[in-house]
Amino acid sequence: MHCPILIAVVIWSSCVDSQKIRGISLSYKRFYRERKSFLCIDGSKLIPFDQVNDDYCDCADGSDEPGTAACPDGRFYCTNLGYRPHYIPSSRVNDAICDCCDASDEYNSHTACQNTCRNLGQRERAEVKSQMRALDQGLRLKQQLIEEGVLTWRDKQAQLRDLQRVLDDLQTQLDDLRKEDARRKKEVDALRELEIGALETEENSHRSHIMNESPVSIFYELDSNRDGRLSAKEVRAKLTDIQDGERVLSEDEAVIRGRVPGRLVKGEPVLKAAVSAAEKAAAELKKVEDAYETVYMEIRDLREKLATDYGPEREFLFLYNQCFQLKVHEYFYELCPFNQVTQTSASGAEVSLGKWGSWAGSPQHRYSQMKYENGEPCWQGPTRNTVVTLTCGTETALRSVKEPGKCQYVAEFQTPVACRPALRQQGVHSEL
Amino acid sequence: MAAFIVRMGPVLMLWLAVCVSGSWAVDRGNFKTCDQSTFCKRQRALKPGQSPYRALLETLELTNTKLTLQLINDNNKVRLLLELYRLQGNMTRVKINELKPLKPRFEVPDVLINDPPTEPLSLLSQDENGMVLSLGADSQRLIVSAKPFRLDIMEGREVLLSLNSRGLLAFEHLRIQDGMWEETFKSHTDSKPNGPTSISLDFSLPGVEHVYGIPEHADTLKLKTTDGGEPYRLYNLDVFQYELFNPMALYGAIPVMLSHSPQRTMGLFWLNAAETWVDISSNTTVFGQMLDYVQGSSETPQTDVRWISESGIIDVFIMLGPTPTDVFAQYASLTGTQAFPPLAALAYHQCRWNYNDQEDVAAVDQGFDQHDIPYDFIWLDIEHADGKRYFTWDPHKFPQPKEMLQGLEDKRRKMVAIVDPHIKVDNSYKIHSEIRSRGFYIKNKDGGDYEGWCWPGNSGYPDFTNPEMRAWWASMFAYDQYEGSRENLYTWNDMNEPSVFNGPEVTMHKDAVHGNWEHRDLHNIYGLYVQMATAEGLIQRSGGVERPFVLTRAFFAGSQRYGAVWTGDNAAEWDHLKITIPMCLSLGLVGVSFCGADVGGFFKSPSPELLVRWYQTGAYQPFFRAHAHLDTPRREPWLFGPENTALIREAVRQRYALLPYWYQLFYHAHRTGQPVMRALWVEYPQDTATFSMDDQFLLGRDLLVHPVTEEGARGVTAYLPGNGEVWFDVHTFQKHNGGQNLYIPVTMSSIPVFQRGGSIIPRKVRVRRSSSCMEHDPYTLYVALSPKRFAQGELYIDDGHTFSYEKQKEFIYRRLAFANNTLSSRSVGSVWIQTFLMLCLSVDGKESQLEFDFDASMSVLTLRKPGVNAGVDWTVVLQ
Repeated sequence: MHCPILIAVVIWSSCVDSQKIRGISLSYKRFYRERKSFLCIDGSKLIPFDQVNDDYCDCADGSDEPGTAACPDGRFYCTNLGYRPHYIPSSRVNDAICDCCDASDEYNSHTACQNTCRNLGQRERAEVKSQMRALDQGLRLKQQLIEEGVLTWRDKQAQLRDLQRVLDDLQTQLDDLRKEDARRKKEVDALRELEIGALETEENSHRSHIMNESPVSIFYELDSNRDGRLSAKEVRAKLTDIQDGERVLSEDEAVIRGRVPGRLVKGEPVLKAAVSAAEKAAAELKKVEDAYETVYMEIRDLREKLATDYGPEREFLFLYNQCFQLKVHEYFYELCPFNQVTQTSASGAEVSLGKWGSWAGSPQHRYSQMKYENGEPCWQGPTRNTVVTLTCGTETALRSVKEPGKCQYVAEFQTPVACRPALRQQGVHSEL
Repeated sequence: MAAFIVRMGPVLMLWLAVCVSGSWAVDRGNFKTCDQSTFCKRQRALKPGQSPYRALLETLELTNTKLTLQLINDNNKVRLLLELYRLQGNMTRVKINELKPLKPRFEVPDVLINDPPTEPLSLLSQDENGMVLSLGADSQRLIVSAKPFRLDIMEGREVLLSLNSRGLLAFEHLRIQDGMWEETFKSHTDSKPNGPTSISLDFSLPGVEHVYGIPEHADTLKLKTTDGGEPYRLYNLDVFQYELFNPMALYGAIPVMLSHSPQRTMGLFWLNAAETWVDISSNTTVFGQMLDYVQGSSETPQTDVRWISESGIIDVFIMLGPTPTDVFAQYASLTGTQAFPPLAALAYHQCRWNYNDQEDVAAVDQGFDQHDIPYDFIWLDIEHADGKRYFTWDPHKFPQPKEMLQGLEDKRRKMVAIVDPHIKVDNSYKIHSEIRSRGFYIKNKDGGDYEGWCWPGNSGYPDFTNPEMRAWWASMFAYDQYEGSRENLYTWNDMNEPSVFNGPEVTMHKDAVHGNWEHRDLHNIYGLYVQMATAEGLIQRSGGVERPFVLTRAFFAGSQRYGAVWTGDNAAEWDHLKITIPMCLSLGLVGVSFCGADVGGFFKSPSPELLVRWYQTGAYQPFFRAHAHLDTPRREPWLFGPENTALIREAVRQRYALLPYWYQLFYHAHRTGQPVMRALWVEYPQDTATFSMDDQFLLGRDLLVHPVTEEGARGVTAYLPGNGEVWFDVHTFQKHNGGQNLYIPVTMSSIPVFQRGGSIIPRKVRVRRSSSCMEHDPYTLYVALSPKRFAQGELYIDDGHTFSYEKQKEFIYRRLAFANNTLSSRSVGSVWIQTFLMLCLSVDGKESQLEFDFDASMSVLTLRKPGVNAGVDWTVVLQ
């Protein structure tokens, strides 16, 4: 590269300590081998080597000043022996605030930083150890809960299958009963037809039309929906001359009247038996229909419950139907996972902070956060909602609830099932 | 002294940007209209015509310091006493009071910094029609006409200004009760024990088409005529969700108006703290003939102004300019200059109603570091106190305030906690019981302690007009009194109009009593006293060492001496962003430089675009604080996705890099009264194109800012003033000619800012966590050459937070100049060299060569590390 302007003569000796380039990690040492010149790591510029760490930013990528604050977006490597090495923005070098525990960032700010890496390292190792213990225990518990979950899941699946089977049986029964019911009704109808025919021949033809009709045919006439019963409505629709005190036909009256054909056909045993069989069939049908409905609903609920995402190993399944409470000052919070979050004030007023919405963690850790939405609306604001962050612990408990913004709640929920083996990796790494 | 020859060499840095050859709405019903304010209605019913007032020339008394003369109202024979003063610095003071009032009328104390020094008036001629007085040099004369009474100030043959030329002088004298005086507004009755006491006077300004000032109004920079509409109202009020572009009163009142024409700038300072209304009309023909000795009378544009106040006396200061700079200096000589803030107060402030608890504060603080966004102050609103008992802390949310403050101190950051002037009536609350037992509360008309509703519920209002009360209040800021306070805790005075939720117009009853005076007489100055006492408290707690920082919402003439103001409870709307410019420009014209608006808008929730644009605008306005209403979703800068976070980070960083320039501008404002944020016409007084401009502004003389304030903007058209001048885009260094409208395409990252060719601006380009962290960092000088290859600028440096600059003269003040290819630094004031200033090798007496880098495409020459000490003389020569 031809850079005529930069061909420069150094008038006095460099003050850069070439033995040790400040602010770089081991892996970057190769870029800073002492030569006559230094090539910015992005390759953009070649500068005299003594301009490395001379407190003036020459490289656009900040690579010539790893150990000073000269470059706007540079970074400084804290070696932090005994603790964890890490990068800090170079703007934190010599700003009189101790950032690196080895105090290496404050070499020229007259701030007395203590090297706290040993202590930090020890403390962290101890912490990591106890965390690891908790994590191990948490993972064991998690395994149990997963297994429990598997069992529960199996139970539920079996239950679902059983219910399905019951439902299928009921369906079969229903089909049969419906057929039976229809057959019985038809039979009764047929018998009635016969009866009417017989009566018609017996009765004198010059009686008034109404008087002519047999009770069976009257019944038949009145029973407009052909269900073998008379309702007040049906009777009212056909009769206009009901004479009782209220001039209104009550259901009782209708039923009594409806029974008239039954009483009247006492004498005919065949029809009577047929009617009674039809009634019995109808009652049986109703019973099975009700049973079907109940089982159907149960299956629907169970399906819904089983359709909820309980995590890759269904580890969160055990939380279903459980609730967890926490008191924060004057408020009482309750989290019912996969259901809702509520807040109860000292005065006893309960407010919904959101109903189960979805998992809301980052794409990598989807199951690290839950979102509860559409709680009670705020005055002049949106509806309340709660984001629950799940943390690893040996117990399952609601740890904190806060309201950082009006009607926007955040909760911490600790549970072994939030423990991930990956956390062990992180712990191990931090033990460097 | 060190000299450098450019070619090569080490140490500290210096940039040269060189041109080488090319290059929701308010409930209006809560607030009175002029018609509903009976004195305004009465006064406004009076139409221009022959004045009933006559000067009694035989009563003339002329002393070394003033002229007095009696005026008589021929209708009722009541006599007034006119006092005329010629003040040093080209000002005239006109005072009119009753000759023999039944009892004294209120004269506003504590606003003038001293008795303005006078110069003798001399009588040039006198006859039965009047007299002519000399106002000293420049052939300026004051003409007193006897019948009807009027005053004209002339220069040569030109009338600069006339008083009572429209006959609207009206002085309601105190009288024995002659009927029912009380008046009622909504459910509130004002007993008005003194009856009608209002005053009014008109001013005519021939040749003037533009008048400015009289804040606070949410309106354009250029004041509008009020014919057929409402007058501009000055009455400090807590207006919920204020509306834009109207003359309604807001939180503060500064009764100062500037008039401007290409020929002259003048100012009128109406020193009255009662409710005041200002009518403005512009009419060249109707009243022109009255000024028979004016050249080309009927063709001359003219603005007529009329001031109406409810009580007090007429006390007007006429500032005769003639330049804008002169008027600023004149007004500063009367009421003082902008308090010189601690440097950190010019940095970024993060506020919200409310940061909930200590943990929240720590998390937000941490958030700024995680996202590498600098900030200096985090603020706590009313919820931090124990049941809104100011000077206390909520024991659950803030159990360890000192630890919290220490945590911020460890990051070299600071905090502001709110202390409002309404005091919870609660006998177990020390502040309340002390104020009550000392009799420091304002009294109601019946003599009991005045009580009203505010945040804590039933509250008392300390009488800040009482100096003993102020002294006691100040003592409450002592570290041993204000529990949990530390050196890095500062104060915010809100609600000091005062706001009384259940009072008339959400403020105090006018018949409340402050010692000998009614609240009516001094309403508009109450807020000033609150801030004055608070600032005094912050000074005293440090033994007079540290500069205070106090933000106030209410203000009056003179409030600039005590700290910063903000434009109150605005809203997250684009128009509210736009109005920040005229609102702060108007305040700057009348002495208040430390002005800002809530970034993001207080009410409602800004779109990310609006929030980013607001940060970009706020970064270039004097007081830079984000704030949000309790009911709005959180809006810390990192909550809107990485792109918006980066945009906000960049805007805040630009602010921090420019802090040396901001600091120097405030030093200037403090020394001279020149505004920091300036209307363009201030620097280009001849350029009529600039006279109504309020979508862009200047910072000092040298930076022109045209923020993007339109939603979805693809470009803005900025006006670059100055024919023959050049302006450099500060981001690209591209050069543009002055005297043109320049279309600038913009993206979301654009903040159009230009540096004037001919200027040198110091920056600190190493932006750190807080301004304090940057104190030892080197400066970078941006030298933008004029077409004549010349530039000059200044560099002001001190410790950034104490009064040592004033008391021990510990500061560095350098004049920087580039001429004849030589950049030099010379001392202006006394020099104090502190080792912390420069990270540099000793260069004394040496001559060395500098390395440089020249970007031919943009004509930018960068000098690498000149390494000079800011405190000593040096020269850089380009060869």
